[in-house]
Amino acid sequence: MALLEVENLSIGYRTKKGLLQAVEGVSFSLEAGQSLGLVGESGCGKTTIGMALMGLLPPNGMVNEGRILFEGRDLVKASEEDMRKIRWERIAMIFQAAMNALNPVQRVDDQIAEAILTHRPHLSRQEAVEQIKGLFQLVGIPGDRMRDYPHQYSGGMKQRAIIAMALACRPRLIIADEPTTALDVIVQDQILKETRNLQEEFNISLIFISHDIAIVAEVCHDIGIMYAGQLVEYGPRQEVFDFPMHPYTRALLASYPTLTGEKSRLTPIGGETPNLIHPPPGCRFCDRCPEGRSSCKLGFPSWVEISPRHRALCYHCR
Amino acid sequence: MEERKKPILELENVSKTYRRKLSFFGKAEKDLVALDRISLQILKGEIFGLVGESGSGKTTAGRLIVKLEEAEEGRIQLEDVEITHLEGKKLKEFRRRVQMIFQDPYQSLNPQISIYDAVCEPLIIHKVGDSLSRREMVEGAMKSAGLTPPGDFFYRYPHQLSGGQRQRAAIARAMVLKPEFVVADEPTSMLDASISAQIFNILLEMRDRLDVTLLFITHSLAAARYLCDRIGVIYRGNLMEVGPADQVIRNPRHPYTQALIDALPKFGHCGEEKRYDTLLRVDGDAPESAGCCPFYPRCKVSHRIRCSREKPTLRQLAPSHWVACFYVKAEGEFLPESDQCFYGT
Amino acid sequence: MARRLSERFRSVGFLQEGWAIFRESLLGRIGLTLLILFALMAVSSFIPPRIDPMYHPMTGVDPEISSSVGPTLRHWLGTDFMGRDILSQLLAGARVAFMVGVSAAFMSIFLGTAIGMLAGYAGRAMDTLLMRLADMIMVMPTLLVVLILSSLFGQLNIWTIVLIIALFRWPGVSRVIRAQTLSLKQRPFIEAAKVAGASHLRIIFRHIMPNVLPLAFLYMTFRVTSAIIIEAALAFLGFGDPGTVSWGMMLQWVWKTGHMFRAPYWLLPPGICISLITLSFYMLGRAMDEVLDPRLRREGEAE
Repeated sequence: MALLEVENLSIGYRTKKGLLQAVEGVSFSLEAGQSLGLVGESGCGKTTIGMALMGLLPPNGMVNEGRILFEGRDLVKASEEDMRKIRWERIAMIFQAAMNALNPVQRVDDQIAEAILTHRPHLSRQEAVEQIKGLFQLVGIPGDRMRDYPHQYSGGMKQRAIIAMALACRPRLIIADEPTTALDVIVQDQILKETRNLQEEFNISLIFISHDIAIVAEVCHDIGIMYAGQLVEYGPRQEVFDFPMHPYTRALLASYPTLTGEKSRLTPIGGETPNLIHPPPGCRFCDRCPEGRSSCKLGFPSWVEISPRHRALCYHCR
Repeated sequence: MEERKKPILELENVSKTYRRKLSFFGKAEKDLVALDRISLQILKGEIFGLVGESGSGKTTAGRLIVKLEEAEEGRIQLEDVEITHLEGKKLKEFRRRVQMIFQDPYQSLNPQISIYDAVCEPLIIHKVGDSLSRREMVEGAMKSAGLTPPGDFFYRYPHQLSGGQRQRAAIARAMVLKPEFVVADEPTSMLDASISAQIFNILLEMRDRLDVTLLFITHSLAAARYLCDRIGVIYRGNLMEVGPADQVIRNPRHPYTQALIDALPKFGHCGEEKRYDTLLRVDGDAPESAGCCPFYPRCKVSHRIRCSREKPTLRQLAPSHWVACFYVKAEGEFLPESDQCFYGT
Repeated sequence: MARRLSERFRSVGFLQEGWAIFRESLLGRIGLTLLILFALMAVSSFIPPRIDPMYHPMTGVDPEISSSVGPTLRHWLGTDFMGRDILSQLLAGARVAFMVGVSAAFMSIFLGTAIGMLAGYAGRAMDTLLMRLADMIMVMPTLLVVLILSSLFGQLNIWTIVLIIALFRWPGVSRVIRAQTLSLKQRPFIEAAKVAGASHLRIIFRHIMPNVLPLAFLYMTFRVTSAIIIEAALAFLGFGDPGTVSWGMMLQWVWKTGHMFRAPYWLLPPGICISLITLSFYMLGRAMDEVLDPRLRREGEAE
């Protein structure tokens, strides 16, 4: 049984202008020790999925359809009490702008110790500190920096501290939402590699959410491409890159400048993302799709299997 | 060929230090040297990419050029006019010739001013044209920036536009006076990839049609490769390598450039082996370096004697390819200590 | 040209959106309703009363009545100790309240905004100088100073009182405007204006002021309440303008002539009016706050 199974998940936000359907009919599964990258541009719903998995949707957000099966248990139906037990112990999250998630007036080791002791009250303070030492060694922060305050850390070190905190209770699943966006290239590279190593060493599953498809490719086994709240392509990393099937995936890849290979003219994607309160009928990418046909607007596109693990949501990708 | 192009902008030994205020307890905080005697030449009509990480000084260089800040040392020259210190009327004349596109499209437009007024403002400030010709000029600028039809956008306000549209309005505003030189400070770092691609193409078209010189400041080598004719790699206020974009990326000579290239994600075609492997794994922050090569603390291929005592200057390796490193020969091998060859510029 | 103007107004989304948010706020609706009522009162004070076209609330003494009398058909709220109609006095008081409140508030906002913007934008020496001046004025108790002044110079004219209130009330506004200016100064669109060649004056009037004015107007509503109360207090203590009928003045008369507990129809109306008008301005201010905040919040939103 897969560690995580998301079935037909739909999430909406109640706004003054109506119900904004941020996520629609998303399904995927994740085995233990595997990593999945959710890629999409702003507004595609990837962060919403991350928050829903942790049970951290804002008050006006709600799951209106589908199930989230984690270790066999439906998280959508779980109570706040249950979620609190699961959070951090079983599922941990590394937020966007996590560097601001550290309390500036508390020493770093105190903060992490607090997190550990909250979930493992039977541990003594000394044992918690020992654990933190080990974690810091894992993530590469020198032990003598443990007693510092967050502002004394560089950006990269803060991120590593956050990762250490996420690993503290040895969760089965980590959700990382744009963890390296604010970091420099070299530091980002180091952290991505370390994340991959940690993930493999401890057999932790990882959901890596990013707008940058290249970063996701560094870390994840599988990739899911999201557009306007829907999952439009899904498959193993190499296959999605070498054989992108959905027009959006292709367009997305074509809009990234590359370092190697031929220097061809970048083709941006014209138009704007669709309104999610009143989504257009049929395929949501149709208006901007270079291969769009009028038939795409009638009826909902269905999944096309390109290979056993690679699928795309488009009529035309055979 | 660069021989035909003349330099339009020159920086010579320009320095800028941000002085930290004394902290409450009297302990003097260290000054931050943003630019350390940096020299640079930008040729007319080219797109020059200044590539660096945060804290490298690239943004400061841009701000000095548009005179949002003043250099403390050194000389800045725009064609034949020295612009290091300008005031009054001369400063205003200068402002017609040099413009800037800012990083954050959500903050670089005044929220209370309509798009038309924002783009028209430089014309009003410099008393160009009358109300009829101004409208034409604004339309023209907005069309080149991809805001079509312009009339649709005239009376809208920034918060009614998407990020990409706002940035295009900012570009229109920068271009309406037909400046000779434009500094683009990370114009796409806050935009999605597909929108960034639009902006890149707009900048390319602008350069081709309007013959404007562009300084493109970025942290992305890949974007610089796509957009720029020449690239300068800057690290801690010093230029490490300057050369044609393709050359610098395909054949980088400075260990820092090589480390940057190693660090970039390569779209799923990554192997574990680094191509150049020039970076020392330094736990914690890289220590400060003064009086030595700025990259020395993190450099795997440096030799302690020289690199820790002297700061290398930019030396010419090949026509139009300069590197600031002691141990690079034209063939690409690192020179051992015993062989001390000096290369003339 | 006309077409362009009309297009402009159509797209001034702020006012439309702002009005929509304002309308939804309960406080705003109550406040606005009350204010309209008071405004009507003030306006109707110009209409000569039925009693006698030559009636004046100060001097118009009902020849038939010579002492305080309760509400009758002729005098809806009764008369005061001299036989003057209380309702007319109340209406006239409304007029004075608006006059004093709005003028004093307007003047203090005008001063405070100008000084705040100047201090914030110029910085350094000018900033220090102006803010120290503001500090000095802020610590002085307004009421006390006015009392001292009037004891020195005798009874003060109503406009002098307005001026003094304005002169003592600008520091509070200027601090807030200065803070706003300081934060605006760093924003990229100000730098963009500098790079485009804008002069300091242009930046202040074209870029900083429009972003600062909404805050200024917000504070104006609060200033109005304090101005009205100060004027009422002065009048009550006997330092108001004797030639003007204001609610505070009415209260003074009630007290002075010993009718405090004997004539509730005389005591209550002005007191309630002062409280209500203050409350309604305050509610207006709070509702405006809601209008301003969501807009500010929305602007920072990423797509």
